[in-house]
Amino acid sequence: MSRVTAGERLQRLLAIIPWVAAHDGPSIDEICERFEVKHNELVADLTLASMVGVYPFTPDELIEVIIDDGRVWVHYALSFDRPLRLTPEQALVLVAAGSGLLTVPGVDPDGPLARGLAKLARTLDVDADETIDIDLGLAPAAVLEQLQEASRLRLQVEIDYYSYGRDERTVRVVDPLRVSAQQGQWYLQAWDHLRGGERLFRVDRVRAVRRLESAFDRPAPSDGLASFVAEPDDSRVELELAPAARWVVDQYPVEAVEQLPGGRLRVTLAVGAQPWLERLLLRLGPDGLVIATSDDLASDVAAAAARRILARYEG
Amino acid sequence: MASSDRLERLFNLTATLLATNRPLSAAEIRERVPGYPDDKATFRRAFERDKEALREMGVPLILEPIAGRQPAEEGYRIPPDQYELRDPGLDPDEIEALNFAASVVQLEGVSGLGAVWKLRSIASPATASDADGAAGHDRSADDRPGESDEVEAWDVGALPTNPHLVPFFVAVAERRPAVFAYNGQTRTVDPYRLDFVRGQWYLSGFDHLRHEERSYRLDRIAGTVELGPGASFDRPSTSIPGARLQPWELGSGEPQIARVLVDGDQAHLARQAVGNDAVIDERVDGSIVVELAVTNVGGLRSFVLGFLEHAEILEPPELRREMQRWLEAIVDRAKPRPRALRTSRSTRKRTAT
Repeated sequence: MSRVTAGERLQRLLAIIPWVAAHDGPSIDEICERFEVKHNELVADLTLASMVGVYPFTPDELIEVIIDDGRVWVHYALSFDRPLRLTPEQALVLVAAGSGLLTVPGVDPDGPLARGLAKLARTLDVDADETIDIDLGLAPAAVLEQLQEASRLRLQVEIDYYSYGRDERTVRVVDPLRVSAQQGQWYLQAWDHLRGGERLFRVDRVRAVRRLESAFDRPAPSDGLASFVAEPDDSRVELELAPAARWVVDQYPVEAVEQLPGGRLRVTLAVGAQPWLERLLLRLGPDGLVIATSDDLASDVAAAAARRILARYEG
Repeated sequence: MASSDRLERLFNLTATLLATNRPLSAAEIRERVPGYPDDKATFRRAFERDKEALREMGVPLILEPIAGRQPAEEGYRIPPDQYELRDPGLDPDEIEALNFAASVVQLEGVSGLGAVWKLRSIASPATASDADGAAGHDRSADDRPGESDEVEAWDVGALPTNPHLVPFFVAVAERRPAVFAYNGQTRTVDPYRLDFVRGQWYLSGFDHLRHEERSYRLDRIAGTVELGPGASFDRPSTSIPGARLQPWELGSGEPQIARVLVDGDQAHLARQAVGNDAVIDERVDGSIVVELAVTNVGGLRSFVLGFLEHAEILEPPELRREMQRWLEAIVDRAKPRPRALRTSRSTRKRTAT
């Protein structure tokens, strides 16, 4: 049985009828394709529509549906000649999708999407530029396009990548498996020949791409690869946070949170790379106190980093 | 009951309420619409469910007094002028572009299918004008931009949603003030815009409590959102895109102009973050100087520290000194050495200080 509810079937039917009525006998195949409906479901729903009428059921008030030789004609005297208005959810879906896609580097800012969105927004009384803004992520257009193309053609690329966590720049060869926008960022999911494993790269941190002529053959990438997954043997740090630093808990995966008096928190964080911890502690300043660190981290990480930066100011 | 029977009843109900020129009472509906049970209580339950289904689809079902009834009685109808999708005048290629967008950029848990059906339902103007040979449209509707390989290239994860998103979208469109709790206070806000930035939804608008434009993270809004009457305020034509504010711009008062030097290795990241217009100098070694209007010193500090030793504040001297003092305090505080923490949490030793 179909999983479509009666309400959804009616919604689909109310969309199909005006369109069929405005055309001279479109083919069943064409209707099925346009409205993404199966052949037998369409015929069943149209047959049902032909039985609809209004009290006191005089013939001129019925919807007439003719199905003949694989084509469909609809004639009617009811007010079903216009599509049903959009619900607020549906309006939001269209406006958000349109303005989101428009921010993708490489999408024509004056093309059919921009024109259609502007027209639709006007009828909905929203200004697509001023009332909604969807940012799928920062990314240099040229880099994004090169990566998408290489991924589609399944060709290896050499990328000049800045690893933010490690604070280092490296050039490496990767097999670009998938380019995607997630949670406001563009990511490249790739097999990394430098580290010998699948990795997630932020496209905005790719400085340059060089396409190689070598093709790669790998299965589809695994789903749900996170940008940082804590390993059991990663370094750990235990911090005491002032109330003003509670954002740390929202922003990073903390492994343990203990509420302390006065709105203070004690948290344990996994540390993927030392520069990441340096930045966090430097930003927190007096709001973040290191209580303990695992053996492999220098206990005065923040002070050492602060001294390196101060050298610039004193020089 | 079977889906087809219910579909037929819903369709009959819609047709009846669209065709009537006066509101129909529940009793009249039971009489005129085929498919309802005879038992009064069972009818009531079925009718309630049907009303809910129609409203979910976007059918404007209104309840109003029936004229001339003694005693007063209320009835239902669907005003045809409110039922219809106002024709946005979309060309076929524009309809397909919007459908394509809806297939690529999705909202978590919100079905875009109904929206796509409704847009596809719009009879394309090209069809009407084809007959008299006046068609000026290219037939680009036929080359669908939504075929499989392209969708693969546009791999965009569903945008997260939030229970307040649709109410705020309605509030922005209809210019209705919104009342909600934020940071433990009740705010009344004229909602101007919605932004999705860095993976989060924000609402910006005029806050009547603070008497200024503010932005709010939707996931931090607790409880319910109440909307006031429509057309209650005018949207300023240049509303400040609140969520687009950079960390050093969060704050009020006269901005200080700061200059920050960023080394060549990280110059492209700084450029992306601040925009090309803020870059006032490019040096031969690849480093750049960016100029920022600062109303929030902490925000500037966080931005600059993000580059570790690859950046420094050049000017003004006060902000440069402030950064030095901040860093010196970190060096000073590190004097008493913290205890060691083992990697494996189960064997971590705690000692009282």
